[in-house]
Amino acid sequence: MTDEREITLTINGTEHTLEVEPRRLLVHAIREDLDMTGTHIGCDTGNCGACTILKDGEPIKSCLMFAAQADGAEILTVEGMEDLPEATDLHPLQEGFKAEHGLQCGYCTPGMLMAGKALLDENPDPDEETIRDAISGNLCRCTGYQNIVSSIEYAADELADRTATDGGAVTAEPGDGAGPSADDAATVCGQSDCCGGPDADLFERDYPTEGTDT
Amino acid sequence: MSSEHEDTPEAETEYQHAEDDGPQPEKHCGHGRGGMGEEVSRKEDKRFITGRGNYVDDIKKPDMLHCEIVRSPHAHARVKDIDGSRAEAMDDVVAVLTAEDLLEHDLATMPTLMDDTQDVLVNEKVKFQSQEVAAVIATDRYTAKDGAEKVEVDYEVLDPVVDAQDALDAEAPLIRDELDDQEDNHIFDWETGDKDATEAVFDAADVTIEEDMNYQRLHPAPIETCGAVADWDPGMDKMTVHMTSQAPHAHRTLFSQVSGIPEHKVRIVSPDVGGGFGNKVPIYPGYVVAAAASFVLEQPVKWVEERSENIQSTGFARDYDMTGELAATEDGVIEGVKVDVLANHGAYNAAAQPTKFPAGFFNIFTGSYDIEAAYGSLTAAFTNTAPGGVAYRCSFRVTEAVYLIERLVNVLADELDVDPAEIRRRNFIPSDAFPYESATGWNYDSGDYEKALDKALEMADYEHYREEQQRRIENDADKLLGIGISSFTEIVGAGPGEQCDIAGIEMFDSADIRVNPTGNAVLRIGVQTQGQGHETTFAQIVAEELGMDVDNISVEHGDTDTEPYGLGTYGSRSTPVAGAATAVAARKVRDKAKSIAANELEAAEEDIEWDRESGEFHVAGAPDRSITITEIAAGAYMNHPGGEEPGLEATNYYDPPEMTYPFGSYIVVVEVDRETGEVDFEKFVAVDDCGNRINPMIIEGQIHGGLAQGIATAMLEEVTYDDNGNVTGGDFMNYLLPTANEIPNFDTGHTVTPSPHHPIGAKGVGESPTVGSPPAIVNAVVDAMNHAGVSHVEMPMTPDVVWAALDDAGLAHKPAQNVEFEFDGASGSADD
Repeated sequence: MTDEREITLTINGTEHTLEVEPRRLLVHAIREDLDMTGTHIGCDTGNCGACTILKDGEPIKSCLMFAAQADGAEILTVEGMEDLPEATDLHPLQEGFKAEHGLQCGYCTPGMLMAGKALLDENPDPDEETIRDAISGNLCRCTGYQNIVSSIEYAADELADRTATDGGAVTAEPGDGAGPSADDAATVCGQSDCCGGPDADLFERDYPTEGTDT
Repeated sequence: MSSEHEDTPEAETEYQHAEDDGPQPEKHCGHGRGGMGEEVSRKEDKRFITGRGNYVDDIKKPDMLHCEIVRSPHAHARVKDIDGSRAEAMDDVVAVLTAEDLLEHDLATMPTLMDDTQDVLVNEKVKFQSQEVAAVIATDRYTAKDGAEKVEVDYEVLDPVVDAQDALDAEAPLIRDELDDQEDNHIFDWETGDKDATEAVFDAADVTIEEDMNYQRLHPAPIETCGAVADWDPGMDKMTVHMTSQAPHAHRTLFSQVSGIPEHKVRIVSPDVGGGFGNKVPIYPGYVVAAAASFVLEQPVKWVEERSENIQSTGFARDYDMTGELAATEDGVIEGVKVDVLANHGAYNAAAQPTKFPAGFFNIFTGSYDIEAAYGSLTAAFTNTAPGGVAYRCSFRVTEAVYLIERLVNVLADELDVDPAEIRRRNFIPSDAFPYESATGWNYDSGDYEKALDKALEMADYEHYREEQQRRIENDADKLLGIGISSFTEIVGAGPGEQCDIAGIEMFDSADIRVNPTGNAVLRIGVQTQGQGHETTFAQIVAEELGMDVDNISVEHGDTDTEPYGLGTYGSRSTPVAGAATAVAARKVRDKAKSIAANELEAAEEDIEWDRESGEFHVAGAPDRSITITEIAAGAYMNHPGGEEPGLEATNYYDPPEMTYPFGSYIVVVEVDRETGEVDFEKFVAVDDCGNRINPMIIEGQIHGGLAQGIATAMLEEVTYDDNGNVTGGDFMNYLLPTANEIPNFDTGHTVTPSPHHPIGAKGVGESPTVGSPPAIVNAVVDAMNHAGVSHVEMPMTPDVVWAALDDAGLAHKPAQNVEFEFDGASGSADD
């Protein structure tokens, strides 16, 4: 047993302090220590994306990061989607997946929702190719992806309609864990097709991208 | 292939859908209550999109221990010694289990679904890489893994044999030396059809063609791996196992047989399952080890595979090396088909199929065609590879059969220079010939193959692409066009008890409907969903048959303590078998409801009519004297007719009289890049006929997913081994599932040819696209190069494979001359 250290994770707006071994994966801290099992594990090698979460607004694969590396981070998981400002009963992405039959067994779905959320935060009106690129780090064995693309398009349309109706009032606020913020330190690995799947080139960032030392 | 049934209900096809305009619930079906044909949104979705699903790895129990399995790095090796002492000395490691420990509890071996005997933990000899050698039980996942690394195993490494042909060589190492009468690696020979009649047809034929083709080893690879949480309750003497099971009842019976725990003291729960595709039909050693550990330690034990363990040790699919031949007239009328197969079954005979069918339903290889004579032979071999041969989104080797015949038909078309659509048309079983008995003895229920093909050709704009293909050939274009057709027939819905069983249990299925006093209902079914949407579609069947609103019906499945016995979900059998049971049980409820209606309406029971459109019961000739199922339910509990039992419920165990035969035509248009060998999908048309349709949205979703798996098969996936038996394609880094970037959009269409023997005329659909699409894709790629003499390309058709075919045929184009690459300052042109 290695020495444990205390870390703080703010998940879906709630701060959690926990003791973890340095080697403990973030996905295990979320699933097993904090009992939020909506985030899944499908491959252990960063290929499948079932464990995708948003860390400081960035989609990352939580099986490829130690919990200790996420100390101090704001994290969004599927369990937090209903409480986001753009959600009514459900988040428009969740509505889209249901309306467009974007899921079957449901195992990849939380990761797909996260990848979709990260995309729409950056690009509210993506074309099909952009959507396919954005979810290309997330494997689905059931749907053939076509309906997942439609689900994300549904959400984009829904969000655009609401923005038009509300005069642009409903957007993600900095620091609420829902979107990238210039105030948040972000950790990305810098590789295309790795952390969260989307091609890193898709996202022009104007906030720090260097890793946070822990 | 028929069996006697006294109470087989007659098919009711009164709600058959419009064939060409898609379902129109308000006009033809569903009646607005969510019955047959309505695109009801899925009841199960909410928990999945909000993170509230409950998969095996989500289950957490007090004092739960974790199990990590120590696996062999060698493919063939004798285990000389296992030393677990360093692991056992660790804090938080509770136990190290080996075969010796399991022998004490008579759990050292387990039966496979083909009646072979597999080591749960290796007793003497490792027979494939990653085989289970020992297990470490610890208080948490990380410590269990640490402990597994400290278990020292002394191996005497033996020569492995990986290739099935090599395994049958007299000099090959003997893999199964523990079996008394096993002197080589040969498992069984199997044959089907009439050899002499087929030879006679071939001898007299105008034309014969032959093609070798390999259906590579695949893995179903659901995104959730296999796992279990076993919980022995010493107070109740009861074993509860939550497990990733596609067949919980069959697994309960097998668990009881293996463990000696009486079946009524075993509860299998299949919670939410993250995809199955046949991978979760067999029992694997990990389940047994977890259960054994929980029994011994009297604490709950969780075992969940990592991805590499899943691909390297659990049931693979396919691995058939096939040679097919056709005999035909000069006009392209097929008279005979012959096939010879070498099947690699891995280290144990652990294929998953009905026990009387060692090669599954492979003898459906006459396909959609009226062929006079057929003969098939097959030899199966043991090799030092993982055991398997599961029905990966396939009804027991139908996928291999469909690939064979649909490729052969194209080869014949090439030989005779007849259009591939036309040659199919000349050979289809005519629509008025059903029920049709094939040369290998299958009794096809219904079909209209030409209609499906015509629809697909129209949707694909076939003639346009044929012209475009010619234009590109004439212009020596960089991208060739290929058009591939597959007009497949599936055989699903296993199956009639006289023919089909799993470990001796007949392959019936079941449904139990209980209507509550307040008018809603609970349906319990013997099949289980891994994403197919049973909680929705089965409720739709009840809604249709009882005139209830679909929202008022809950579907329960997957718990052997509460659900009626069933054989599980695989082989596209849920709708054909359990769907039939559901309809029959609902009709039994409806019959009883009539007598209650008569009582409530103060009329004679024979005067009570049920109106499918309104969903109400009324007195004949007096439609306004009516009563709904909700009112009847109240009557059943609060004012039940004298002389009858109170309550309103019914159960049906349905033994299908026949299999069902879904079919379809797929047309794929590809662009083949002559510089790189890359294949792009230009158009992908899928016309399916699964009989009457329950939920078009869910059907389309099934088709999309199956087509994606067909593309994965044709283009990307293969479990590969090196000569030493090392798995070289055993994780998601190397076993390539397609992403959203590799899968195109699909154009789907349908025709409706109801099954005449199924109570709701449905046939099952989940597997058709995986079965039907690989030959369409290969046919398309071959078609692009056919003008230069290419007759076959092996799967997976990765760019290097396609480029080699282009190059062999003199079709490869070199990259443009002005492209230069820089390597560390040194430059070289691409055509070096």
